[in-house]
Amino acid sequence: MPGDHLSNEEFFTKLGDLLENNRTKGHGTVFLTQKRLTFDTDFSPPPAAKIADDPLWDTHPQNPLPVVIRASNNKSSSRPGTDREDIAKTKLSTVVQPDQLDSFYGRYADVCKAGMSGLKKRDKKKGKKDKKKKRKGAVGETKG
Amino acid sequence: MPYFKTSTEWFEQSSLLLKARPTTTRITSKYTVLKPTASKVQKRQKYLEKKAARPAKPSATTSSDAPSQTLPTPDPNEPTSTFTLKTYDPESGTCLQYQTSKGAEVGRLIGSLGRLARHMAALPDVPETTSAAGEATSTPKVEDDTKDLGAAVPAAEQKQGGGGKKKKKGKK
Repeated sequence: MPGDHLSNEEFFTKLGDLLENNRTKGHGTVFLTQKRLTFDTDFSPPPAAKIADDPLWDTHPQNPLPVVIRASNNKSSSRPGTDREDIAKTKLSTVVQPDQLDSFYGRYADVCKAGMSGLKKRDKKKGKKDKKKKRKGAVGETKG
Repeated sequence: MPYFKTSTEWFEQSSLLLKARPTTTRITSKYTVLKPTASKVQKRQKYLEKKAARPAKPSATTSSDAPSQTLPTPDPNEPTSTFTLKTYDPESGTCLQYQTSKGAEVGRLIGSLGRLARHMAALPDVPETTSAAGEATSTPKVEDDTKDLGAAVPAAEQKQGGGGKKKKKGKK
């Protein structure tokens, strides 16, 4: 299915949408998968005899191989008594060429960090405490 | 397969697995936001009541008493979010997992996904100067972890021979 793969740019915008939808919905899951691309490329396993000779044949390919990245959400169907809605499964995939891996992962990290805002923030309590202390200090000063 | 306690351990083992089976191994990361179930909400409420009823610890001195009381009580209906990393090789059935709920870790974890992707693409390892420099700016805590990673990578490379032998044994 090489025709189904999105370009890296498109993938990022759609992945951003996927994470954004998940955030506005308030619950749900986003799956991300990465794997070596071996389907429909010029990389083909050597003949069977050679595989038997060398069980580690795939550990030293001649050329670097592209990596396929997939993303999907969870399908959900409406259920009486809950606020669940019908949401179709969305599947995205893109192929990253070996020479673009580093730049791709730089952007990938940014998109994921922005989208996964539900996770715990760092030092949340500490920051609030400090702010309150400061405020209290300010109030005390004005009173005094 | 149980979850690893540290992401460093997960990364080490995953890179070993990828070195042994680069074609079949896949890495799935799952970001999930869950609304708590009714029983979970109840449990949280009970815990909060219990906490409120219990007098403050004597060790907490008078000065720190006031801010601790004014801390906002966590909402029992708050959804739980987790980020799970899973390295799976269907051929050998190996499954390596790591789970976190800290948002600060996501950047570093995706960075390690990127380095694992280099194994998948059969590119040589890069010295992690770029990633360490990029993440050290965000927080001091991360810095410690990246140092750990730096120390762990040569160790992983040393282990590589052992991993290969293991794998061959399995094949025969």
